[in-house]
Amino acid sequence: MSWLDSTVHRALVEAVLVGALGGVVGVFVIARRLPFFTMALTHATFPGIVVAALLGVNLYLGGGLFGLLVVAAVLAFGRGRGQDFTTATGIALSGGFALGVVLVSSQDGFTKDLAAYTVGDVLAVGTGDLVATTAVAAGVLLVLALVGKELLLAAFDPVGAAALGLPLVLLDFALLAVVEVTVVATVPALGTILAVALIVGPAATARLLTDRLAPLFPLAAGIGIACALAGVWVSTQWNVATGASIALFVGLVFGAVFLGTAVRDRARRAVAVRA
Amino acid sequence: MSERAPTLVLDRASVAYGDVPVLEELNGVVHEGEAVALIGPNGAGKSTFIKALLGLVPVVRGRIEVLGRPPAQARRDVAYVPQADTLDPDFPVSVEQVVMMGRYRRIGWLRRPSAGDRAEVADALERVGLAGRARDRFGTLSGGQRQRVLLARAIAAKPRMLLLDEPFNGVDAVSQHALLEAIGSLKAQGASVVVSTHDLAIAHLACDEVCLLNRHQFGFGPTGDVLTPERLRATYGGHALELRGDRVIVTQT
Repeated sequence: MSWLDSTVHRALVEAVLVGALGGVVGVFVIARRLPFFTMALTHATFPGIVVAALLGVNLYLGGGLFGLLVVAAVLAFGRGRGQDFTTATGIALSGGFALGVVLVSSQDGFTKDLAAYTVGDVLAVGTGDLVATTAVAAGVLLVLALVGKELLLAAFDPVGAAALGLPLVLLDFALLAVVEVTVVATVPALGTILAVALIVGPAATARLLTDRLAPLFPLAAGIGIACALAGVWVSTQWNVATGASIALFVGLVFGAVFLGTAVRDRARRAVAVRA
Repeated sequence: MSERAPTLVLDRASVAYGDVPVLEELNGVVHEGEAVALIGPNGAGKSTFIKALLGLVPVVRGRIEVLGRPPAQARRDVAYVPQADTLDPDFPVSVEQVVMMGRYRRIGWLRRPSAGDRAEVADALERVGLAGRARDRFGTLSGGQRQRVLLARAIAAKPRMLLLDEPFNGVDAVSQHALLEAIGSLKAQGASVVVSTHDLAIAHLACDEVCLLNRHQFGFGPTGDVLTPERLRATYGGHALELRGDRVIVTQT
């Protein structure tokens, strides 16, 4: 018997991993203004996972490869004349999700499988999922540690980055690929639709709390972990869907912090006016 | 001045985005320690000119040489200063972090800034008069101060050529003075400066040469020779107005 034989223990470890990973990657997603792209990626990864399930190959591999195709397509179309990321992303979002639904609906047990792929179930993750998530987290953190400063410069001042001779297309691809593997690693726990919550929410919440870059990373990771653990706890206490519980916590924490900082800023302005 | 080495050579150069030519028949030479003002109406191709010097827009005919090399191969010694208001003021980055970006090429991939890099950043901020604002968030500074931070970023890169895109737009008098001082000291150290501006007075004040642009080149040479009413009228078309015979104001920029 190992500690990881317990469903709940595995869920807790997975929650910590995806919470931290989503939070850190989210800081780059917010800085580069990619939340909508991330949303589309989660939906476009869906058919890859369905195809992998139908063919009986590894779900991560299927979802990951298909997602990389989508990244390449968005980059190619996004650089076309009169186009931008938003247009290409919108097409990838609806097209990918539709393809996934068509594939699933051609099979028996349509509704149950659709639910598993789209909203996930962190209580169903196995040891293999944990290993995969750990590997993705290690790889992503390594990439971000190595080229993080170049990625942030490209996000802040793309022309300035190009003027320095930085390979912008390569940097864009690296960031989009990081987001992609993060999405795929988060899918078993939260599903293709809810994965975006853990990638965008904690980082956006952290951004409300600080204007500084360095504290954003630990803050976002901490909020991600806390929301994921709280979601697992609620779902085991009251037997409700785990992925949805986690996403709900992310939304609630963002809402509470948003209101809190808005009230604080108002109070500060009032003090400033009186002084 | 003849012993000074040429840093920028334009030889019947045309630059284009795809099939669309933006600037045609550019000619001229800039030397070490000289500043040239790019003057022309909006849409004249001033930003494209600067991007061509960075190798970001291709030369389709003729030749552009920056520091004796094709533009894309000279980037190591060229620093670019964008307009401050093109950058997101909400981005969570401090003043010193922005200036440190000027050191990235020297720091290299995969490495972190050293104590020497931090000293260069502090020195560059000192030179634009913003040493006390290093820890502030970039977006909390005024437009003129942000422009000075971007100039400090370029100074920290230790360039031999400095390219500035409309640095004086919407900048208050204090910042304008600080920018001119810093540009002057870079020139004194031998750097060449290319600056696009709408402000003819600044061109007179800060630049040795002027390049008049509106898709074509309407003049390139010493400021006093080129900034004539006739040439400005030719460059700006109907948007140049004459005042008392020998002076011209530009009604639309």
